[in-house]
Amino acid sequence: MFGYLQPLKDELRLKDFQLYKSVYCGLCRHLGKDYGILSRMTLSYDCTVLAMLSMSLNHEKCSVTKGRCTCNPAKKCMFCDSDGESFALAGAVSVIMSYYKMKDTIQDSGFFKKTAAFFIKAVLHRNYKKAAKKYPKIDELVSDMMKHQLEAEKNDAGVDVAAEPTAKLISALCKEFSPNESQTRVLEVFGYFVGRWIYLIDAADDLEKDMKHKNFNPFSTKVQENISDTMTYCNEVLNMTASQLVLSYELLEIDQYKEILNNIIYAGIPSMQKKCLFDKYEKTKTTDYYEALTQKTL
Amino acid sequence: MNDPYKVLNVPYNATDEEIKQAYRKLAKKYHPDRYQNSPLAESASEKMKEINEAYDRIKAERKTGKHSNSNSYGNYYTSQSESTSSDIYREVRILINSERYDQAEALLDSILSIDRDANWYYYKSLLAYRKGWLEEAYNYASTACHIDPSNVEYQAFYNRVAEQRRGNYGGYRPSSADGCGCCDMLMCMLCSDCFCNGCCGT
Repeated sequence: MFGYLQPLKDELRLKDFQLYKSVYCGLCRHLGKDYGILSRMTLSYDCTVLAMLSMSLNHEKCSVTKGRCTCNPAKKCMFCDSDGESFALAGAVSVIMSYYKMKDTIQDSGFFKKTAAFFIKAVLHRNYKKAAKKYPKIDELVSDMMKHQLEAEKNDAGVDVAAEPTAKLISALCKEFSPNESQTRVLEVFGYFVGRWIYLIDAADDLEKDMKHKNFNPFSTKVQENISDTMTYCNEVLNMTASQLVLSYELLEIDQYKEILNNIIYAGIPSMQKKCLFDKYEKTKTTDYYEALTQKTL
Repeated sequence: MNDPYKVLNVPYNATDEEIKQAYRKLAKKYHPDRYQNSPLAESASEKMKEINEAYDRIKAERKTGKHSNSNSYGNYYTSQSESTSSDIYREVRILINSERYDQAEALLDSILSIDRDANWYYYKSLLAYRKGWLEEAYNYASTACHIDPSNVEYQAFYNRVAEQRRGNYGGYRPSSADGCGCCDMLMCMLCSDCFCNGCCGT
């Protein structure tokens, strides 16, 4: 996953922020315990959210302990741990997805990136084997998603079709930790739109880069003369997805971490859209964009 | 059944007025209009039912044994306008509602392209919306409105979709000034409980 699901720190109370961090550090430690120290580099914000959501819906008891950060022993951290499956599941998702991402990078990147990805993949291989053995279903889901994604890209798919594999994957993952039947349906839809949102914001964020390198991007057929028009269009697509996401989120029976999760949905998502679609272009020169645009039309 | 006070998220010693307010807030949040045509319409209406029941129970309990079954919100979300005349579209509607999307799609696509009127585009749009293919939904809805601008049903659906795209119900609304745009106001109205807990709670 890509780290787009984040809380907006400015609007979070300090105690909630510390709680959020403790889940983040807890997941990191869990990864280290389950898969060894090197798997910790797969840690992401998205998997933290996944763990938090799962703990919340399943009413898992969470215990916070103090300790030292393993990566930086000078730093003291709070570590959250639960009595349920959430951390193990989120950890496995993190390891398996990172492994497949590296595999994908090896296939379609330049020499340096390819070499780097090759080493990371080699390092992750044992961890991946372990995670896939414990959660064969997740492994199957992710590998299916990669296959469908490749197919969609080959066919130059539009926005809806291109976003479908990621949306379906997150949907299936969310179903895995459903507490009961009525929530399964909600989680399925919620996951679908979360996946769709993540995929689309990543695509919009990479649009400039992809056009320059002539890579596939679902938005590339929608590019307009003016960069702000293009980004307004992308924002509209994301807004519609976010609206559906909000509708399904409100039907989830959230227990703990409500403030943090609300913050992510109602403040984190809008601010991430602002950051990725608008703020970026205020700072940088627009010439890059025009260059890419002329290259594309030639 | 769940504790009605928990359902409405109010303390046991809440006043009647507070309970009424909490109920109104939740009823607004889960109102079927918000979830119209959404794949979760049923879940929302279940939630609505739960809230209605909880409110009725508290009211009845507080009247000391005097049971009242009045349901102020109960009626106006079950009525759904059905304006299709053709059998095929009725069938499509049934298929969509029972989540047989592939069959609905096949049935719609079997209609010859010369017979594809505004209604056809409208149903294509509804189907795409249910499936989560929001771009397709938007495009079909706008075509339906374009062909038949006078139809109220198409227009209402299109307007809602357009509002979503503008960021009024989630996501980012670029034109709004920092922090106090219409979007935030609406969000605040819809989910005031979370914001109040988040920012002003003690």
